[in-house]
Amino acid sequence: MRIMDRELKPWLHGVVSVLLGFILLWTMTAFPVMNYRFLDIVNNVLYYPEKPFMQLRSLIKYSSNWVLERSSLQERVSQLELKNRIMSEALQKAGIIMPAPKDSTVAAQVTLRYPEAWWQEMRIDKGRRDGIAEGAAVMSEGFLIGRISRLGDNYAWVELITSSSFFIAAAVDETRDLGVINGDDHGNLKLLYIPEERKLKRGMSVSTSLMSELVPPGIPIGSIIGPEEPKEGFMPMKIQAGAHLTQLYAVEVFSAARVAK
Amino acid sequence: MPDVFLFSAVLLALMPNTQKSRQIMLIWAAFIGGLLWDLRWTNLPGLTAAINGASLAVACHVWQKIPAQARTVTLFAILAGGTHILSGIIHFSLWTIPSQAAVRQLTVQQLLAIPVLVVVSLLFWKVSDKHV
Repeated sequence: MRIMDRELKPWLHGVVSVLLGFILLWTMTAFPVMNYRFLDIVNNVLYYPEKPFMQLRSLIKYSSNWVLERSSLQERVSQLELKNRIMSEALQKAGIIMPAPKDSTVAAQVTLRYPEAWWQEMRIDKGRRDGIAEGAAVMSEGFLIGRISRLGDNYAWVELITSSSFFIAAAVDETRDLGVINGDDHGNLKLLYIPEERKLKRGMSVSTSLMSELVPPGIPIGSIIGPEEPKEGFMPMKIQAGAHLTQLYAVEVFSAARVAK
Repeated sequence: MPDVFLFSAVLLALMPNTQKSRQIMLIWAAFIGGLLWDLRWTNLPGLTAAINGASLAVACHVWQKIPAQARTVTLFAILAGGTHILSGIIHFSLWTIPSQAAVRQLTVQQLLAIPVLVVVSLLFWKVSDKHV
């Protein structure tokens, strides 16, 4: 390869590629909108050739996790069955007739989770075409893990509850104290705006409060670990997420459209 | 997948009788492959591309400086392994999740690359044997 009668050497191309790489990196960091545009274009192009491999990978992961998850799921099912029976009996005694349950969630697979945004966002393989709306609650194993933040036709980005920009109204189930759940970008969760005088105990469960038709009340989030340093009359509470946030492969997205059917 | 891609690029670039122009093309192919990988998985567009381009260029440069008699399969394996380790260490240093998880990730990544390196070295040995 010659330019102006000078033979170019591989190392020179190496230097140029490094410079070009870092210019690209700087440009994409400086202009996040452009970065997202490129990411979505590449992801859309690669979606179809990657799909069979992604499904194969999910199948292998499911197979390997199946045995491990089975016992914990069985235990959870027994607990829920017992809870359900008690609640049904209580409703029956009170003379309240429950409407038949409807399929209100869309099952989706996690297709992308960037290391540097590990606790902020991830991408799933279902989008607008599957009836998903922006702002909808996303759950894993029955626990809230985030909300839909951006939407494409066949994909969606989920803002995780551990993101520092995530705020959602939540209630302590045992005391009905209201607060706001917020993350710190490092995998930790807090329940904010709890008055200092409230005596909340370790192990009390926290679930969503009434937000919108896309985030129904009562979705479990996690449980209280303990208080943090009080600030301005409020005592933030550390929360342990109920879902395994480091191992998210399959999720459910709440779909108000399906509820309305 | 990026390991196989990088090792294949190194193999093609360091094969006997590979022209400089072909090596240059491979450097840019490695760059574009790295860029696609960044856009799809790392969200740091340009980083893997730069690492791939630089490491392949260094491997080609060292290879050219070595006398033809000394271009053995061992040297090939050292250069190919070196590019992989360099790539892993740079990604490791920029990893933002807790360090214990990052160390585990780096170790697993390097260990998983060993069988690929062995296969690529065997391929190189077979090809270079034919040219003797």
